[in-house]
Amino acid sequence: MQPEIVRKLRQIMGPDGVVVDETALLVYECDALAIFKHPPDAVVFAQTAKQVSEVVKLANEYSIPFLPRGTGTGLSGGAMAAEGGILIEMQRMNKILSIDVENRIAVVQPGVVNLHITQATAPLGLYYAPDPSSQMACSIGGNVAENAGGPHCLKYGMTTNHILEIEAVLSDGEIVRLGNPAGETVGMDLVGVIVGSEGTFAIVTEIVVRLLPKPQAVKTLLAAYRSVEACSQTVSDVIAAGIMPAALEFMDDKAIEAVEASVYKAGYPRDARAALLIEVDGFREGLEETSDAIVRICEKNQAYEVRVAKDDQERAQLWLGRKGAFGAMGRISPDMVVMDAVIPRTQLPGVLTEIYRLSEHYGLGVANVFHAGDGNLHPLILFDSRRKEQVDKIIDFGGDIMKVCVAVGGSLSGEHGIGIEKKEFMGLVFNEDDLDTMMQVKQVFNPRGLLNPSKVFPTRRSCTEIGKGTTTDTATIGKRVEAVLLRGAGDH
Amino acid sequence: MTIDGIGAGRLVFPESIEQLSECVAAEKGSVVPVGAGTQLEFGNPLKSADCVVNLTRLNKVTTYNPAELTIHVEAGVTLKHLHSLLAANNQTLPLDPWNGADATIGGIASTSAQGPLRATGTIRDWIIGMTVVHIDGRRSKTGGRVVKNVTGYDLAKLYTGSLGSLAIIAEISFKLRPSFPATATALARFSSLAEAESVLAAIRTSKVQPIACELSGPKHAVTVRFGEHPQAVEFQIRNLPKASWEVVKAENENVSLENLHRLHSEMGPIVLRVVGKPSEVRGIIEEYQPSSWIAHALNGIVLMAFDDASAIAAVRRKFPAIVERAPAAIRSEFGTFGVQGAAKRLMVDMKRTFDPERRLNPGRHIDGE
Repeated sequence: MQPEIVRKLRQIMGPDGVVVDETALLVYECDALAIFKHPPDAVVFAQTAKQVSEVVKLANEYSIPFLPRGTGTGLSGGAMAAEGGILIEMQRMNKILSIDVENRIAVVQPGVVNLHITQATAPLGLYYAPDPSSQMACSIGGNVAENAGGPHCLKYGMTTNHILEIEAVLSDGEIVRLGNPAGETVGMDLVGVIVGSEGTFAIVTEIVVRLLPKPQAVKTLLAAYRSVEACSQTVSDVIAAGIMPAALEFMDDKAIEAVEASVYKAGYPRDARAALLIEVDGFREGLEETSDAIVRICEKNQAYEVRVAKDDQERAQLWLGRKGAFGAMGRISPDMVVMDAVIPRTQLPGVLTEIYRLSEHYGLGVANVFHAGDGNLHPLILFDSRRKEQVDKIIDFGGDIMKVCVAVGGSLSGEHGIGIEKKEFMGLVFNEDDLDTMMQVKQVFNPRGLLNPSKVFPTRRSCTEIGKGTTTDTATIGKRVEAVLLRGAGDH
Repeated sequence: MTIDGIGAGRLVFPESIEQLSECVAAEKGSVVPVGAGTQLEFGNPLKSADCVVNLTRLNKVTTYNPAELTIHVEAGVTLKHLHSLLAANNQTLPLDPWNGADATIGGIASTSAQGPLRATGTIRDWIIGMTVVHIDGRRSKTGGRVVKNVTGYDLAKLYTGSLGSLAIIAEISFKLRPSFPATATALARFSSLAEAESVLAAIRTSKVQPIACELSGPKHAVTVRFGEHPQAVEFQIRNLPKASWEVVKAENENVSLENLHRLHSEMGPIVLRVVGKPSEVRGIIEEYQPSSWIAHALNGIVLMAFDDASAIAAVRRKFPAIVERAPAAIRSEFGTFGVQGAAKRLMVDMKRTFDPERRLNPGRHIDGE
């Protein structure tokens, strides 16, 4: 990076707010999807929206790409500097600015860790609902960029349903405030379209989130099955009974095997072909009856064991296995890649059969964890990074899984985003007109294409989009699949 | 057919999305999409209407598989039809817009219409995908057919509430919820706004979670509706702050909700939708002294009726406010949305990008103010 630009960055950020040392920059060469790497040319540590604005203006002046980064837990390469440039680190903007109990809102900075909002509001009887599994580490700004999900989406919605108002720095450096505390659309829902734009529309610098009252009571139960079909039918029957579970999590035998062999051992029945973790929450009144109704549905579908947690400790135990499932894979495989796809939930048995067939075809193991309530499937591809022939097959195997999911009416990503990882697959679900329309909207927010380039759209498109600024062919980055441990790093 | 005094040049009734596409592509003048026509006076006055595209024959339910808890419908399906179809499967889309169940689902989405159930969200929260027809006749889709999806930009958010000014909504996919296992509505009348507000303040910090909570005036009536497991409904009614509540269920509940809708329909001649915080509702009403009002008390949104248009500018000095109802001349003078600054610039750019020749619903949305 030109010394002149570095000097100007230091003027804006202060002497310790800029990193340009090549070794230090390697820390920022990827997010939690470590198979795609490219370092930025500089990292700045923002503390105010004004600093972000000035850095963005500088980047515009020199036509340098720039992008925001939260805590780097993303799993689609969204915070990876695909074309180098300036990476704007948001972690120092980590204050909860206010909590308004009566109006059930909190005003937070983007670097605040998701779980910290819930921790800060819990004593007041409130919480922030979206709970991606990385919630102990992921930032709310990153959640907004990716429209993060979590196991409780079915009942409580995704991030987009909980963001009311934002302050953001636009791609030309202007600071704007959009939305309002009522979440009412006045004119156009610009907040709604910025949420989930994967950091390509604006850099969010302040967020007003909706808080919900903590449920009075929670019931959690585990049901074990000898067949995937019976397990899947239970899900349909629970929905058909008019029950809205807070969470409905599916694990296949491979996932159970890994969990039970690990420190996350939760006492799941080891011989089960599939298991469901079901949670209902809400008012204490009526919850016991709802839970009983679910038990009956499980039994009707030949669950051979149904275990209802008696207290918080047993509840935590049941969740331990599910939440630790990704980390537990280390017990049965040296390395793994977390996939993220969505299918209509009734299609699960057929899709699983196909994934197992592909697993055999590629000679790579696969375990499946599934947010069965909302159809979000997380196949975990198991491999050994020391074996090149295995590594070489991951992308094709993953691609085939995507195709299977799309073929049954599903989609490419339920919560991780497209980023770098899946952009070449966008053509599976969207045609030219669909992508053109998205590109048009991107042009409104990001006309010069400097903000987080080479993301979301297939490569050919992103090249034409940014024109001569392109220095790196991201498709070749994609092929540089490196041996990486993703253990426990997941947002799932 | 006349909208805001503009007569339609031609009126077409496409019966499929393909036909819609074709007739929009063939049109060289202005194109005005309409549904059941329940909200033709919402938005800035229309500037021209060479071709009015009536979408009510685009009324097929494309797919409904109750086990998926999703439904895919064409834009002309009425809310009434949708509700009856869903109710037969013990499911619902919790929408009760003021303009009634005869409205089409496309019209409700285009206007982001809402009613007492605002406390549970708006239509934006239930839309998972959309197909739209652009001014050149091209079709595009956004989102998908699954309940959780972050594939590509969520353009349905843009189309929702933009009054058909960017593209014509042709098909919508919704996620659904189970029907409320039981509902009940508690009604109380208070002698003053202060008294009503003290009860609402207690509700805001209490254990109850109403699906609707409306404060109407000048009679200071509070309508609180619950939808939950029967035992949880009873629990919440027991835990309401002290007041002389009358609890109504079943048919009587419908009557009380209809009364609320009637109150809304009688508001005027100017109705503003003022956006504040729940704790500001009382202050907003006291400061601007509307002739009548209905507040979504848990959302901080107050619908206020005025005789005099000067209230619009006064309110907008402090709060965002949408002109929900007003004679065309007043909508034209003040603008329906009153958005300013960078937000307005982005919206105008968006309109220009989607419709550079300004042929789609010209003047109706942000381009009319």
